Amino acid sequence: MATTTAAFTLSSSDIAPSPVSKSTTATLTKAGTTTGLEQCDGMSRRILLTSETSIMDLISAQAAGATGGAYTVDKANKVYICNSSTSDVDFVLITMYGEPIGRLYAGDWMFFPWGPGHATNSDIRITAASQTSSVIIDYMIIGQRNEA
Amino acid sequence: MATTTASITIASSDLVPGMAMNYYKTSTLTKAGTSTGLENIQSGTVEYNAASQKALFDQSALTTQFGTIADKANKVYVKNLSTDATEYFTIEINSVELGRLYAQDWMFIPWGAEDANADVQVTPSVATSMKLEFILLHE
Repeated sequence: MATTTAAFTLSSSDIAPSPVSKSTTATLTKAGTTTGLEQCDGMSRRILLTSETSIMDLISAQAAGATGGAYTVDKANKVYICNSSTSDVDFVLITMYGEPIGRLYAGDWMFFPWGPGHATNSDIRITAASQTSSVIIDYMIIGQRNEA
Repeated sequence: MATTTASITIASSDLVPGMAMNYYKTSTLTKAGTSTGLENIQSGTVEYNAASQKALFDQSALTTQFGTIADKANKVYVKNLSTDATEYFTIEINSVELGRLYAQDWMFIPWGAEDANADVQVTPSVATSMKLEFILLHE
């Protein structure tokens, strides 16, 4: 069993009357258990040219195709995505099942549970519709695919 | 202008044997398309005693209270405070599931709050006192 942790820290000295400091660490486990996640699609990078403005798949729930390899069952998968671009004005819109989740601006990152509740339609898609320069997207999945 | 940073570290010595993992990323949270820091924060803890879908962040109510939040660089943090490994919150936006947040798991996402339907919704897996903590940062 692997042990993988994800730590979060939020810090600000001036967004509230008193300083804000929040830290937490999660040990990433399989759904409903204390057994650590054992599979990952390691850190990957995709560079979108300024001409690539259409919506496109970043992470496909059906990618592996095989029953045990796909991400089509509601498990405890975790997804990390980062917009590693540097232009303040450029963003990538993250969508799932046609629903906009949010805009990931340059330098922003997100980390969330990915439980493909819509089977074949739960791909994580990105749109860089108006970028002024190439957009760099780093991403990773730590999960359990369709393990029994 | 406030300065707020959000950092993540993902670490494992044995997920991939022989290739220890230690990814770190920090981000300064800014308003959409600018280098100006986000200026509003809300945080708290909520306890649920029914296994039914609830709006954690109501787009319309927030818009009424703070003005336009749609298509902005809002950020949402949620942590499931349960210690029972089987308990989870189903996280949805406009009833589209992102995933299940199991006990002690946390998430941090941008929230576009695109329209009045784009509430961030949570559904506890059980009806017996599940708690979460949240932070919303917005313009």
